[in-house]
Amino acid sequence: MIRFEDVTKTYKGDVTALRDISLDIDKGEFVFLVGSSGSGKTTFLRLLLREEMPDTGRIWVAGREIGELSPFQVPYLRRNLGCVFQDFRLLPRKTVFENVAFALEVIGRNKAIVRSQVGIVLDLVGLGEKADRMPDELSGGEQQRVAIARAFVNRPLVLMADEPTGNLDPATSQGIMKLLDRINRTGTTVVMATHDVSIVNSMRRRVVELDHGRIIRDQARGVYGFASELSNTTSHAVPAVSLVDEGDPEETGEGESVTSRVTAVRARRGNR
Amino acid sequence: MAVSLDYVVKETATNLWRNRVMAIAAVLTVAVSLSLVGSALLLRQAVKNQFVEWSNNVSLEVFVNANASASQIAQVRSLIERTPQITRYTYLDHLQSYEWAVKLLAGAPTAIAVLSPAITPPVFRCQLQDPAYASTVAGIFRHRPGVYEVDFAAQTIRVLQKLEGAAQVILVVIALVLLVSSLVLILNAIRMAIFARRREVGVMKLVGATNWFIRVPFMLEGLVQGLLGAVVAVFVVLLANLGLGYLHSHYGVQMFAHAQLSSRDLAFTDLIVVLFGAFIGIVGSFVAIRRFLDV
Repeated sequence: MIRFEDVTKTYKGDVTALRDISLDIDKGEFVFLVGSSGSGKTTFLRLLLREEMPDTGRIWVAGREIGELSPFQVPYLRRNLGCVFQDFRLLPRKTVFENVAFALEVIGRNKAIVRSQVGIVLDLVGLGEKADRMPDELSGGEQQRVAIARAFVNRPLVLMADEPTGNLDPATSQGIMKLLDRINRTGTTVVMATHDVSIVNSMRRRVVELDHGRIIRDQARGVYGFASELSNTTSHAVPAVSLVDEGDPEETGEGESVTSRVTAVRARRGNR
Repeated sequence: MAVSLDYVVKETATNLWRNRVMAIAAVLTVAVSLSLVGSALLLRQAVKNQFVEWSNNVSLEVFVNANASASQIAQVRSLIERTPQITRYTYLDHLQSYEWAVKLLAGAPTAIAVLSPAITPPVFRCQLQDPAYASTVAGIFRHRPGVYEVDFAAQTIRVLQKLEGAAQVILVVIALVLLVSSLVLILNAIRMAIFARRREVGVMKLVGATNWFIRVPFMLEGLVQGLLGAVVAVFVVLLANLGLGYLHSHYGVQMFAHAQLSSRDLAFTDLIVVLFGAFIGIVGSFVAIRRFLDV
């Protein structure tokens, strides 16, 4: 579904946001991107949206290399990618219903589809009753649910969330995570950048840890934490470089090795 | 693209209403700028008309020898009638010419004493189509039999033509400067309006709106604002023209008696103002929104 191949991104002033990143995310996966601020999580998501272009390397989304899209095609890429942010980004002068409907109007859906789909999605996020409220009449958690509804209403292939629980209390965050989990179960790939230790630890999903623009850990059923501390205990750290170059699944060992899966995918693609 | 008319009209209307303070600011900017541009264009036309009028008062005089025969005078007369550049003429015979000379020489009694109707040359006073033809026409008559002298206000004509040229250049420059500054002002007003809504544009981009989908309502908004501003400006221009007429008829301000414009000139100026309003509205929005689409 998503594939990064040797992606490097440097901003002006020699700030390297991502260094030689290679990563595969399959359809239907739930992936946490963790790492301290400035480790490159947001750049990763911006590259996916093609808000930025990589300096080197290539990125595929849903089988298309997005670097080759013309500017006219970028909106169509984005229709496959739902986005949720820490600050919700709702339009303050539209009602809940209008905010969600906006995502469908913008891509030219007719009124009947808009009405039925928005209703369905608002029920899914548990805000069916509050369709006519304005965003500022809702709690933070409810606003984030509206944002998720907007991101999900046109059934994107991938739902991206950049610290969606960053502004919310733990209980509310749990609710949001349940919602994301439910969306994930519909087959939607979810990529979520987060700092939230307890959420990562409780979900036990794939964890990709970034540090200074490198992948320092890629672990199935991972927890939050630094690779160095964890390498002796719950898992093994797999540096990004080895992920690409050393391809032998036997060596990387135990359990649900992401490395082996990546290698297998690579081998498959290589054969084509 | 798939921009439905329904959506665009709804979006434009609600945006105009929601951002009405900004919209009014933009409309007023357009109105003030275009009023100035329109007035400058109007003034240019008025000055042109005035110069035409002044120039028409410059005449060319063909003096016939005092002892010229009747047939020579008739020949000169027929030549005048056949010269297309001369629109009309009056003939002053010996006596009329003498009276005219007495009037002109009122301050010099000794000169009058020397004159008598018999020795005063009769004269054809000619009005020219355009004073620029004066020297050519003078050349035609100067060496004809019976012609004593051809006289015209060469100096006056030259000065008038220079003045008119200068006035035209100055007013065109003023109009251009106003046009450019109004364009910048309007661009700025529209850009501020869009800046206030960059968040909305960001959300639209995020959910996969095409650039044209985002642009069209903004451009329509710019068009509406530009046209509204232009309509106000057209009224200002009309009022300015009426004002000139009022000055003339009620206070006898002769200076601009002929500066008031024909309805054709007015319509032309108004058309320019309206087209320009629409143009800057659309182009201004297009340019102003461009940087917010660059993501």
